[in-house]
Amino acid sequence: MVASADQVFSVPVFLVVFRETLETVIIVSVLLAFLKQTLDGPNRDVKVYKTLVKQVWFGVGLGFLICLVVAGGLIGAFYTVGRDAWDTNEYYYEGAFAVFASLIISVVGVALLRVGKMQEKWRVKLAKALEAPLKTTSRRSGWLKHFGEKYSMFILPFITVLREGIEAIVFIAGVSFSAPATAVPLAVVVGLIVGSLAGYALYRGGTTAKLQYFLIVSTCLLYLVAAGLFSRAVWYFEAQQWNNIVGSDAAELGDGPGSYDIGKSVWHVNCCNPENGGGGGWGIFNAILGWTNSATYGSVISYNLYWITMALSFAVMRYREMKGHWPLLKAKQGTASTVDHHSGSSEDTAVTSSGTKRQVSEMTTIA
Amino acid sequence: MGFSSGRLAILLICAIGFVHSSRAATVTYDFNVTWVTSNPDGAFERPTIGINNQWPVPRISADIGDNVVVHVTNQLGNQSTSLHFHGLFMNGSTHMDGPAQVSQCGIPPGSSFTYNFTINQPGTYWYHSHTGGQYPDGLRGPLVVHDPESPFLGRYDEELVLTVSDWYHDQMADMLPTFINKGNPTGAEPVPQAALFNDTQNLKVAVEPGKTYLFRMINIGAFAGQYVWFEGHNMTIVEVDGVYHQPAEAEMIYISAAQRCSFMVTTKNETTANYAFVASMDTTLFDTIPEGLNYNVTGWLVYDDAKTLPEPTLVDELDPFDDMTLVPNDNQTLLGEPDKIIELDVIMDNLDDGANYAFFNNITYKAPKVPTLYTALSAGELATDPTVYGDFTHSFVLEKGEIVQIIVNNLDSGRHPFHLHGHHFQALYRSVEEGGTFEDAKLTEADYPAIPMRRDTLVLYPDGNIVLRFRADNPGVWLFHCHIEWHVSSGLIATMVEAPLDLQNTISIPSDHLEACAAQNIATVGNAAANTANFLDLSGENRAPNRLPDGFTTRGKVALAFSCLSGILGVAIVASYGLAPDPGSHPHMEHRIAEAQVVDPPTASPAAVSEPKEAPLVTTGSGGGSSRS
Repeated sequence: MVASADQVFSVPVFLVVFRETLETVIIVSVLLAFLKQTLDGPNRDVKVYKTLVKQVWFGVGLGFLICLVVAGGLIGAFYTVGRDAWDTNEYYYEGAFAVFASLIISVVGVALLRVGKMQEKWRVKLAKALEAPLKTTSRRSGWLKHFGEKYSMFILPFITVLREGIEAIVFIAGVSFSAPATAVPLAVVVGLIVGSLAGYALYRGGTTAKLQYFLIVSTCLLYLVAAGLFSRAVWYFEAQQWNNIVGSDAAELGDGPGSYDIGKSVWHVNCCNPENGGGGGWGIFNAILGWTNSATYGSVISYNLYWITMALSFAVMRYREMKGHWPLLKAKQGTASTVDHHSGSSEDTAVTSSGTKRQVSEMTTIA
Repeated sequence: MGFSSGRLAILLICAIGFVHSSRAATVTYDFNVTWVTSNPDGAFERPTIGINNQWPVPRISADIGDNVVVHVTNQLGNQSTSLHFHGLFMNGSTHMDGPAQVSQCGIPPGSSFTYNFTINQPGTYWYHSHTGGQYPDGLRGPLVVHDPESPFLGRYDEELVLTVSDWYHDQMADMLPTFINKGNPTGAEPVPQAALFNDTQNLKVAVEPGKTYLFRMINIGAFAGQYVWFEGHNMTIVEVDGVYHQPAEAEMIYISAAQRCSFMVTTKNETTANYAFVASMDTTLFDTIPEGLNYNVTGWLVYDDAKTLPEPTLVDELDPFDDMTLVPNDNQTLLGEPDKIIELDVIMDNLDDGANYAFFNNITYKAPKVPTLYTALSAGELATDPTVYGDFTHSFVLEKGEIVQIIVNNLDSGRHPFHLHGHHFQALYRSVEEGGTFEDAKLTEADYPAIPMRRDTLVLYPDGNIVLRFRADNPGVWLFHCHIEWHVSSGLIATMVEAPLDLQNTISIPSDHLEACAAQNIATVGNAAANTANFLDLSGENRAPNRLPDGFTTRGKVALAFSCLSGILGVAIVASYGLAPDPGSHPHMEHRIAEAQVVDPPTASPAAVSEPKEAPLVTTGSGGGSSRS
């Protein structure tokens, strides 16, 4: 018996783990780099820094734990209920995941950019504010929102790890139905290590570069991911519909004819499939840029629509930054002079110590 | 239900052998083709195509030398039809062969049409519709030609016709559009719902002890090959597809769609038990085996009606007789080296409508606008140029008398029973499954048997090849096709145009044939595109869908370019937003932080070191301060 490489190392498993790890570590390293630069630099605040870093890692850890549990349940369901329960609707789940992730990243991206624009001392304040004790009562608007802000350093990595982790584990479970189980462990470990190394490199880059530029670059990367996710979500939904028509898993048809609905196809090349057997390099291309070998009208239009929407949103936000009010809305008295108003209201806060009357500004998008 | 139809079938079996008449008689049949309702498997009533309001349809019987006249009236109302007399040479009467748009126009509803031909060959045949994938709806029945000079006369006491068939509950007209459809990209053929013996199930065949019966078995099914065995009895094969062969013993035979096999069964000398016989559909042909499908059908040799009918026992393996080992009774030797070699690769592939089609080489068959025979008759000297028959009929022009070798390489993973109209071919070689192509086999003349078996339908194994040879001694237009009706519909057809100039001198088309065309506005002269001015101009011919593009089309390039552009612009906008300073951000921040920190105003700590400008914050900035301490 000669153990072939296939029995020890499953390349598809490696690529999937690597890809999912990469997506996760981009988020995590951006957060960590941000904290490092902000709180561990000249304005050291070790306690806050440690608390927030702890939050990040706690999010990662809990996300990983829950995804283990959920995926374990799914795998259990595979063996008891049979694969069909998952298989028949797989792309609906994937699509829903992708939309959710795309929305989260879009919102987070804005926050990161705005953080990048701040002067450093303000960032420190912000970071410290994040760590401040949670206000428990007496404010109508958004306990949840406040909670979201306070624990953003936890929630973000938590959700990301959860999503990517479940995706990876489900894929591995699927592979180990056909491939020898012995091929899985090494591939998983190597995938995690290589992905983490990439993340560490990113983190190192992030801690030495000027924070604003680092945040801009990493946010651009995140938006590329988000655009790809949004497009993929539409693609997933369409692929699921196609699978329902074909009546079997169209992915089993490989790259070729029948693996896609020709009536909706914009382009299809019989290679470079990011979905097949881990997708190889194309899977990573897919994860970061949304590449697909089989584009549909839906996926192309949604990709472009995403960017148009984001461009408009940024234009609107920029407008507000410059003019102090939203386009098409009259400048409210209260916001006409931002600086005055806010310093004033801050004083109000000090005086009333309740803040019930104040409107929560759009800065709450700062996560 | 099963019992009464079983009895009917026994009656039909016993009714054989009445049509013995003197030599060269004319046998006439009036066939009104009509819709009837049937339920042969006792599971589902369905509209079925019958003849003279009856189904199963009547058997055609004749003696060698008889002139057979079949008057067909199409009373279906909603479908055209035509009849093909499978296996008959139709020598001198190629226009009576039956395939629509090949040797005639389909018979439209309300029209009548006469087939008139002379049979000069003995054996077991069948007739079936050769229009629009129609025959599985019921229009198929046995055709038996008796031979007073059969070498096996006297070796059997009685003969019985036994058909075997698959059976669908849905109509072909409903199934075909979903079969050739982008929603069926793998080209998975619909799986039959049942198997039938003599168009029923649980067939009882009354036999007497100590006698020998000649079973004329015909697979009149659409799709499934069948394994057939008789419990406790051996079969002695003496004829396949109308060719007498030296008797060969078999325990189990495989009979594909359209094949026939006559075998003798000698009964036991006692009547102590009845014996089951079984036909089992070849499930390797099926994409899936639906839950609850009974792919077997059972009949019984009934020695004693009072005794029980035993359930058939399960067989351990399906190991049928290899028909390639047969030796023709007439000892016809291997034809000489071929004058023409036609090599065809069987390929299943998808075209740009997304549907799966079957190809010989790179051509999937599409019927021409003018029946190919009519093109041959109207093309003058150009009839020898295959161009005039169109790009999608896959026509080969054969010269009279030449020896033709057809090689078929199966590049598909399914079994295909290949049938040649108008000829028996010598089956020179068949590779094993996965045997590769003809080139892989590296065959020489010496590898072929000296006396090859002959038949008109031969099974080609998955990823293997077959070599067939015949002499082009029968002028006509003959199809060569897979006899799985699904593959006929998806285009696995080539056309042999044999000695077309001879046809022009010998064939004249009867007026009722031309009227069938006129009733449907189908041209009867011209090339495949119905072009009469220039027979080499095929513009307007019926075409298969285009091939799938190999890579990016213009549409794809534009879409990709746009997506890249919007990605790049989007990133630029994101970056410029991130770079643009926000004059309001600090006060906003101040406000937010204050808000976050109002929790605990009294514990304001002086530890928060900030510029005086931010006094309001500092006063409330206990959070920051306390976290420091």
